[in-house]
Parts: sequence; structure tokens; C-alpha cells
Amino acid sequence: MTSPLVSIRGLEKRFDLSGSFLEQLRFEGGRLRRKQEAVHAINGVNLEVQKGEALCVVGESGCGKSTVARTVMGLLSPSAGEIHYGGQRIDNLEGKAALPYRRKMQMIFQNPYASLNPRMTIQQTLEEPIRFHHPDWSPVQVRDKIHEVMHSVGIDPDWGSRFGHEFSGGQRQRIAIARALAVDPEFIVADEPISALDVSIQAQVLNLLMDAQESRGLTYLFITHDLAVVEHFGTRVAVMYLGRVCELADTKTLFAMPRHPYTQALLSAIPKLEDDRPNHIRLQGEVPTPVNLPSGCVFHGRCPYANERCRQEVPQLIATDGGAQVACHAVEEGRL
Amino acid sequence: MALLEVKNLDVRFAVRGGDLTALRRISFSLDKGERLGLVGESGAGKSVAAFSILNLIAKPGYIAGGQILFEGKDLAAMSERELRKIRGNRIAMIFQDPMMTLNPVLTIGTQMVEAILAHRKISKKEARAIALDRLQKVQIPSPEKRLDQYPHELSGGMRQRVIIAIALLLDPEIIIADEPTTALDVTIQAEIMDLLLNLCEQENVALMLITHDLGVVSQVTQRMLVMYSGRIIEQGPTREIINDAQHPYTQGLINALPQMGEPGARLFQIPGSMPSLKNVPSGCPFHPRCNFATDQCKRAMPEYVRSGNVDVACYEVANLIEQEKRMQEAES
Repeated sequence: MTSPLVSIRGLEKRFDLSGSFLEQLRFEGGRLRRKQEAVHAINGVNLEVQKGEALCVVGESGCGKSTVARTVMGLLSPSAGEIHYGGQRIDNLEGKAALPYRRKMQMIFQNPYASLNPRMTIQQTLEEPIRFHHPDWSPVQVRDKIHEVMHSVGIDPDWGSRFGHEFSGGQRQRIAIARALAVDPEFIVADEPISALDVSIQAQVLNLLMDAQESRGLTYLFITHDLAVVEHFGTRVAVMYLGRVCELADTKTLFAMPRHPYTQALLSAIPKLEDDRPNHIRLQGEVPTPVNLPSGCVFHGRCPYANERCRQEVPQLIATDGGAQVACHAVEEGRL
Repeated sequence: MALLEVKNLDVRFAVRGGDLTALRRISFSLDKGERLGLVGESGAGKSVAAFSILNLIAKPGYIAGGQILFEGKDLAAMSERELRKIRGNRIAMIFQDPMMTLNPVLTIGTQMVEAILAHRKISKKEARAIALDRLQKVQIPSPEKRLDQYPHELSGGMRQRVIIAIALLLDPEIIIADEPTTALDVTIQAEIMDLLLNLCEQENVALMLITHDLGVVSQVTQRMLVMYSGRIIEQGPTREIINDAQHPYTQGLINALPQMGEPGARLFQIPGSMPSLKNVPSGCPFHPRCNFATDQCKRAMPEYVRSGNVDVACYEVANLIEQEKRMQEAES
């Protein structure tokens, strides 16, 4: 296989909860102790994104999928681990050195009501990234580029002087996509780009993203909680739970034969049109807090197949005969 | 007689520059123990429909016409005082966001007891016993402990269970649930829907479920209404509509779902978006987005025609039915 476009190696991210030094002090058992707490958002994630594919990261709220997206983009700095883009380590780059990568990597956010500046016209919104990354371009070049991207996302170029609030949710998301495409990126991180939109509009935006991928040869890291979208859109899927990847597989393989017990439960929970009653795999309890991670496999408290080894030892992603990589002792031992 | 019958309900919002019509001639009925789904995209008027049943639409909204008959009495014509005896007691509501519905500074127990005492003359101790019973019914782990906890101490799924327990407190006839699981994760959503369905069946409570998720509607409800721009455009048995939708909008909604398309292929898309109430198109409000639209559709809103057990408001469907009839006549 050729070398990946983006590779995430041993990524960890913790958010400190304990505040300043004085706030950390606790009086316990007659002594003053310093107590530190952190949210363990990502705990050792390894992922590789191949050129031209759409890698989908799925999971429920709190599993760390958005944190992965933001760390890859450099919006958050990793607590440990490395991010490589085209063979070059980028998580430690600053200022001018990071600039070319900021152009090649663009992001689309979930909420188009929040991601467009309400005081800028569409023209200004689209102009800003182009002027920033191509200071040498003439006004005519900039204008042509804006027309080109607006046209390609299905927004009338004559609407450039309007403001964000004059558009519907679906149109705003098109504008947000146009802004990402304006600097001709190679790699787009899309963090739940359609979950704030209505069903009929979701289809429009998904089609637009697929068209852009085809015509511009884009690579996507697509973050979502909606498995139906993944099945339609993704080349490969990574399922995350409490900051770890529990299954990584080709979309077809994953949907045909989910191996990890969590993936199975997640797939069974999607309401399907042909169902007459809910029929999902019941899990015990709820997602534990990422402040105090469970020992061993993070899923063991809710897993019907958990045994002593699962409570002690952290499972690693292991390739199975079906082609999927699964982090589960039960699968590895052939119990499942 | 149906338990609840809504007849030609009109709801308007009085704003500067004239009234906006949010609901136009909505008619449907709900039988005892029946589960009805209300489907539509944002702006279709499904929440307004749910709120107007209990006359909960805030100003500038008002009921401009029509009747809401609950056991034969018109809720739209009732005084606030009489309505208060029905709200929460005979007809309960479940809202989308459990954190917004629970009072953050009162314990779960206090809020539940308060709701019971507002309608029943019993002691606090008895009320607390009822509250505990309902918490057990919604399968909350260690229910005694929850009574003395505050909403922020519970997870999202657990809060929604508490809300369902509160809805069940006074053994209502109808539960109106407005997108009860939209704020929750898929696995939690599945649990909550399963719970709601089982409780409604056990207690023979009628459920009006408002949602945009066609999968949920198909799993939980027996009949469904599809709304578009303040009108019901299709209503009938859920299975029949899901398997063979008649209205072009309903067809579009179903075909736009990613699971309906071949993986990697372009999805079916309905062009454009739902019109705002300020400029609802003339005639059939869907005509600017419809592939079958003719001049007739631009002129007047189509009347309902019956196809199988489904009522549809569409000229195209009416024409097809007409054609079929003529063909059959010609054959015989």
C-alpha cells in the first residue's frame, strides 16, 4: 500500500479539570493533598487516512470523535502522540511552517449557524481564506475563484453581497463547504456536517460532498454519529468508544459482519424502516465518565462477554480473518 | 367515538404586517391506546400542532378556528382553569430536552410530588409512594436514591426516563411526546423508545409521537401523519405509508434516506427547502419542489383523496386513481 496522506500515531488528549494550583488542594485524612483530575478524551488512537478515501469516525457523544478531528486540524494540541501529513510531522509546527498545511487541510463544522460570521457578507467570508493563502493573487483571480466555488456548491454567485442570516440552514452549510473548497484543499475534516440539517437537506449536502470528492480528488475524515450516513458515504469506518478505536474496517465488511460487541449494539440500535418494533441489543448501564476510565477494556462494564482478562488488560487492535481490525479479547480468543 | 378528535384546526401567529398561518385545516383523530406518529421537517408545524392540543401556544400564536375534542369536550374553547385540570393529568407531554423541562434547583422527588399534589388531594407520603412506583416502572436503577437527587446528577438518558415517569404519574389517557429522543445517542434512543412503547401498551395509553425520524415512526406507531408547511399532506397506517408512500413529498423523504440509496451512489434529493411561513406558495405548498407539479397545483390546495387506507392531498395521486378507475371500467 502507498504511504497514507494523514497518519495519527498514538494520539492522546487530556483536558485538565482541576484548575489552578490552589484549587487542586484538598484536605484529606488530616493532610493537605494535591489532587489532579482530567478528562481522558482520546487514549491512544492510531489511524491512517489513505489518499482519496472517506474515513468515517463514528461513536456516541463523549467518545472523543470530535476531539480527534480538532487535534488533526491543529485546533487542539495533542497531549501525546503525533500527527503526520504526507510523511511530515505537523502537530509541532508553528506559524509560517504550518501555513502550507493549513491550506491543504480544511474543516467543515456541524452548525452552519455558528460557523459563518454574521457580520460578513458571503463574498467577504469566501474572500478571506483566499486572500490569506494567496496574497499575490489579483482581485480578478480572487473573484473568479469565488465564482467558481459558489457555482460548484450550487449557490448563485450573484448572492455574494448577502449576509449569512439571509440563507436557510442547507444553504449556509453549502457556503461553509464553499469556504473550505476556496483554497483548493486536499484533505477535509468534516465534523458532523449534516446532523443539524433536515432529512431532505441532508441528502443534498451529502451529494454535494460526494461530487466534490469526485471532481477535486478530495480525501475526507468524516466525523458522525449517524451510521446510516456512514454506510452510504464511507470507504472505511473507525468505531470509537471512550477515546479508543474498538473496530476499524471497510464499510462493507463492518456493516455485513460487525465483530466488536459495541459495534454490534450500535448497529442494532439504528431504527430501520422495515422494523415494526424496536429490536436492539440491550447494553447494561451507560457510558462511564472519561474522568475515571475503567481498567482494561473500556467497554467491559457494559459488555455481555466480558471476563477477568477484559477487566485487567487493555485490548489492542488486531486484524481478523474478515479483514477488520478489532480491539476485543473475546474476538481474539475466538469466544465471539 | 375517538378519544381525541381534531377538526379543521387553524393556528395563526399575529405578527406585524398580518397573520401567519402555522396550521391550516388540520384534522385527525386518536383512539384509546393508539400510537400516532407526526412526521415532518423543521417548520412543518408538527410541534405547533402538538402544543395547540393543550392550548399551549404562546402569544402571538392563537387558535383561529376549528375544534379539539377530547372525550367530546372542546379544548380550544375551554377556560384556563378547566384546561389546567386536563394538562399533565389526562394528557401529559414529554419534551425534547430533559434538562430544560426539569427544574435544576429542586430534587426529582419534590418535582414529582408537586405534580401529583396539583391534581390529587392526598398526603405527601402517598404522593411519594406513587412517584417511587413510576420510577420503578421506567426501570431507573436504585429509584429511592433518585428521588433525593437533583437533575444534574443524572445522565441524559436517565433524565428522559424521569420525564417519562413524571408523564405517567397521574395515569394519563394520552401522552404527547415531542421529539423525545432527538437529544440522545442512538443506543440510549433505542432504550427509551422501547420503554415508551412497552409502557403505552401495558397501560393502554395513547401516544402522539412527534419526530423527524422515519425509522422511529415505523418502529413505534400504528398510524402516521406527514406534515408540510402547516398542512397534513398524507395520513394513514404507518406500514402502508412507509412501504408505498403516495405523496411526492413523502416519497422524497423516504428516498432521501441514506439507507435507501446504493452505497456510494448519489442520493435522491428533493430540490430547494421548506418555504417560510411568510411566503407560503399558492395552491399546494409543495409545488415549487415537486417533479409532478402542473398549473392546477399552483392554483388551489388539493383535497384529500383515498388510496387504499391512506388519505393524500395531491392532484397527481388523484389523477392516477381516476385513471385506474377508468381503466377498470373500460375492462369490465
